[in-house]
Amino acid sequence: MNWAQKLLMIDRRIIFLLVFLGALIPILVPIGLAVRVSPPVKSIFDRVEGLKPGDAIMLSFDYGPSDGPELDPMANAILRHCHKKGVRVLGLSLFPLGGVDMGIARFSQLSLETGARSGIDYVNLGYKDGGQAAMKLLGESLPAVFPSDVTGQPVGEIPAAQGVRNYNDIELVISLATSVLGEWWINLVNAQFGVDVAVGSTAVSAPKYYAYVEAGQAIGVMGGMKGASEYEDLVAQNYPALAGLSRTATVGMDVQSIVHLIIIMFIVFGNVMFIMTKRMK
Amino acid sequence: MKRQVPITLAILASLYPVIAFYFPAEGINRFNQSLDEWMVIIASFALALGVVSMIMVNLHKVRRRQKGWIFGLITLAAFAMMASFGLLGGQGSRELADGTTRLEPFTWVFQFMYSPLQSTMFSLLAFYVASASYRAFRVRNVEATLLLVGALIIMLGRVPLGAHLLPGIESWRIPGVADVAEWIMKYPNAAGQRGVIIGAALGAASMSIRVMVGIERPYLGKS
Repeated sequence: MNWAQKLLMIDRRIIFLLVFLGALIPILVPIGLAVRVSPPVKSIFDRVEGLKPGDAIMLSFDYGPSDGPELDPMANAILRHCHKKGVRVLGLSLFPLGGVDMGIARFSQLSLETGARSGIDYVNLGYKDGGQAAMKLLGESLPAVFPSDVTGQPVGEIPAAQGVRNYNDIELVISLATSVLGEWWINLVNAQFGVDVAVGSTAVSAPKYYAYVEAGQAIGVMGGMKGASEYEDLVAQNYPALAGLSRTATVGMDVQSIVHLIIIMFIVFGNVMFIMTKRMK
Repeated sequence: MKRQVPITLAILASLYPVIAFYFPAEGINRFNQSLDEWMVIIASFALALGVVSMIMVNLHKVRRRQKGWIFGLITLAAFAMMASFGLLGGQGSRELADGTTRLEPFTWVFQFMYSPLQSTMFSLLAFYVASASYRAFRVRNVEATLLLVGALIIMLGRVPLGAHLLPGIESWRIPGVADVAEWIMKYPNAAGQRGVIIGAALGAASMSIRVMVGIERPYLGKS
């Protein structure tokens, strides 16, 4: 075995170690790379920015803890933005594996950071099974799907949900989704009821939503931690009072930049060794 | 009758929403709304069915002391714990007499045990992706080379570092790597995704029609 072949068979623990250092060092020593905002994220920001105080949006927590690092920062940024605009947020979840608890955690954080009041500025309607059936039924009657919020208070008595009978009273639906739930919101709610839909998805799922954005069925898509960091950046630029709050996605992008660079170097190095091995034969 | 009744019910239940969509009269819509409500209730029962199935499988494993039975025992114990917390204590937080807030046990376990564990499991992927990329990404032919070049552009263009390393030259109209990555996502990627989405939708539509007219009967089971 020649030296090029030996390098191709390098112990993967060395690769793991380099990736670990690439993830750890930017956290300890932040680089602070500027984030470039992309049009699909800007569209979502502009749509929320165009809402008036008192308008209501639905924010669907369709993800679980495994997607939290990518989607929690999106939720935080959107909730801060909506609170600053005086927009009421109706939180819900159609994802069975922890979606409602992700919502509980994000609303708690919003209250701590900005003083937003549960029941007044936002309401967490909780989780409902049925997926598309629940989405379709929301087009007829919100109380039929969510008769009470997550604390058991009847939805008719909650100021944040006053006047919201169905999708006609909602300006925008934002789905923070893993799996197919984001597509269901677009295919069913936007197509049949004409409500504007925006999606925040994991980076792995983001490419498929570009087809919907280009077709005008979704107003925009935030893809993974990059999309979250772009929205955080927009909120911080336009609302300096919120700039001091935690921006976990922006910090995470330093890590992602370095780790991507490490992986690219490994790929290039591996191919150079592969070509050299072939030539040596 | 054992076959005819379920088949007839399935055909009627699947055709009715289609009729309601194209003929939205008030009477038709009212029953359609009821169908949607029943669907939400039945879906909740399916969740309960999953729980019962999980309990039975793991109980069987523990009773028979099959390989890995200790993990079945841990699963059942964790299920019993979380179910008790959820049913007896509820979710969220509550305010105590002294004005402080305390998380309910269910939410505490979810936020400080389950969430970090799930995130940790997912984060392991990064290491395995790096190792697999080094070993498997090889330029063996033209298609593999194109795939590799595209992947490298996207990987570099979708992080802030890419825009700093290869920013492009505006005066010469040379796009940066971030612009190229965005173009790839917006055009070639969207075109490919459209093909996949349309294909999947056509497949789902044809399967739905087969269920609607009774050709496919997945609800009858193996009989």
